Amino acid sequence: MQTPVFLDHLPDIDTVTGQKPAQYRLMRNKALLDLMLDDQISWQTRSTCPACGEPLAKSRSFSQSMLEFQRCSGCNTIYATRVPDQATLDRVRLGQVVEESDREFEFTSLLNWVSLTEARLERRLDKVLDVRFATQALGFVEATKRLSHNRDWSFLALTPDSDDFIALQAEIAVAAPKAVLLPTELDRVADPAALLRAVKAAVSPGTVIFAASSCADGLEYEILGADSPSFVPLDRLTVFSIQGFETLAKNLGFKTLEVSTPGRRDAVILERYFKSAENSDIPFWSSFFREADKNRLRDLQILLQRSLKSGVLRFVLET
Amino acid sequence: MTLRTAIIGYGKMGRIRHNAMERHGGFDVVVACDTAVDPNARVPMVTDPMAVYDYDPDVIVCSVPNMMIPDVVCTALARGKHVFSEKPPGRNSQDVRRMMKAEAAAPNLVLKFGFNHRVHDAIEEAHKLIQAGTMGDLYFMRGVYGKAGGPNYAQNWRNDPEQSGGGILIDQGIHMLDLFQMFAGRFNKVQSFVQRNFWTDVPVEDNAFALMKNEDGIVASVHSSATQWQHTFRLELYMRNGFISVDGILSASGSYGTEVLTVALNRLDPTGNPIPNPESQEIRFTEDHSWDKEIAEFHAAVAEGQPLKCGTSQQALDVMELVEAIYAADEDWSAALRKDTLKVIG
Repeated sequence: MQTPVFLDHLPDIDTVTGQKPAQYRLMRNKALLDLMLDDQISWQTRSTCPACGEPLAKSRSFSQSMLEFQRCSGCNTIYATRVPDQATLDRVRLGQVVEESDREFEFTSLLNWVSLTEARLERRLDKVLDVRFATQALGFVEATKRLSHNRDWSFLALTPDSDDFIALQAEIAVAAPKAVLLPTELDRVADPAALLRAVKAAVSPGTVIFAASSCADGLEYEILGADSPSFVPLDRLTVFSIQGFETLAKNLGFKTLEVSTPGRRDAVILERYFKSAENSDIPFWSSFFREADKNRLRDLQILLQRSLKSGVLRFVLET
Repeated sequence: MTLRTAIIGYGKMGRIRHNAMERHGGFDVVVACDTAVDPNARVPMVTDPMAVYDYDPDVIVCSVPNMMIPDVVCTALARGKHVFSEKPPGRNSQDVRRMMKAEAAAPNLVLKFGFNHRVHDAIEEAHKLIQAGTMGDLYFMRGVYGKAGGPNYAQNWRNDPEQSGGGILIDQGIHMLDLFQMFAGRFNKVQSFVQRNFWTDVPVEDNAFALMKNEDGIVASVHSSATQWQHTFRLELYMRNGFISVDGILSASGSYGTEVLTVALNRLDPTGNPIPNPESQEIRFTEDHSWDKEIAEFHAAVAEGQPLKCGTSQQALDVMELVEAIYAADEDWSAALRKDTLKVIG
């Protein structure tokens, strides 16, 4: 198993804490409140960690505001203790597609991830299926045409599905991909295990799955907890830890080929927090970030990646 | 199949090979030979190289100084033994040709040379990335491989041209040249500067710089140094679609650091031109599997008739000819060597 580090420029903090991301968070939080106030919505209670299966009783509280979240003491995964049904979640997402400008670097990163993994595996991944990402990343289809040659891409749109993803499973089976790209679903769906089970059931053995999610082991979550600007409850119903996702993948019969935490935002988020917040004295970290220049932030972000401690995780799995 | 094995030259390298053979499990080392018997050795020892044949080995592992390699290899092949020999393959291309002749006379025997850098994990990964075609055409390569010459530099047989055939280039730089040829094939144009800077009274180079080009126009530059006080291994390969670098190489001393493969595919601007400093992936390797892979390949070649991919005699000849071309391309160095030789002859 390989653990690559993805080295790149640090992002502009405004892409995380600027007005547009703030409005997006408010919009999603409003949608969550609406769901919570709607008596017609059916909620499923989670009694165990959705990653490792540890009982809820053994977890610690992560957040009590709005929706309750717990942090699993077995694997460190953060999860909502109850979730709406999948079709409701999908409908809400469909109504909130926001066009973000200039995601070119993000798209290139995903496409290069597939290309380099293909080369390392010495296996042609000439038929790739994107699951739902393109619906919310409007420029992605065009980017694949322009940047991903010698590869046949298909795109499975975000449509309201059942809790066991029966419709999605059928569509994946028809597409018969050699690789599946899942960059945005795992932390947003009601039951990530059900999603992975549906994918696995639909594809041939040897299919490569590119999965990404937010990462509970990231320094931003460890220090800021639910105050992290990355923590948008409706988009983070499950924030996997590395151990948690590895356990889930293994239990579902996947082989893990690659693990990484390519997050680029922990350092700049924490710098902004410690430089702007009053009464935020944490031994070592407060002065570290208040005195940090760009080079130090970059060094820290690389160290976090090398230690699998940044706020985004990526897994390459094989069925 | 268990191969009865004799190790001729039971110093550092001979013991590294012995350990790798034990890990493999398909070898039974029945005797080892060196200039003195080590009372703590795990196997019977002899001091006469010919005495190893009394133990009826299937295989000879040759870990002796360069000047002795051709004799040991040719004798072993003539006696019907498969041979695994350390690099460099003798002192010059003539030595390699002599061994190739012995190999040709024994077509059922395996002769492999230990160019282990080819099978280091980071190098194999780099090779895979290039072979897949993802990176596009190879444009150029840069290699730096160097160490601090070390204690007893002047007295070490490696720095006696009569025994070694040259200095740091033939001893260590040869690995980088072998990698260049693995990635790009043979180089037919060579320019160089060969120097001795620090150990001016030792008759071999302590630095060699070379610029070379092959028939496809791929250019490579190497700097092989014995005055690289900070031990360094760095190989860069630049292709049409991106780049690969390998920094550090896992070694017995551990002094070249962790092996780090960095690979990047370009990001293109709207006009299709690469934007500088693309996102790169860094993969670190912390365990040296090269010895085990070499021994496994040798065993598979002997026991199962698998063709050798690494360390063939042709590869050995190609790299030795490149070493000679680099020495010869520096006219001042060649003239100095001739002068030294005349002095020795008197």
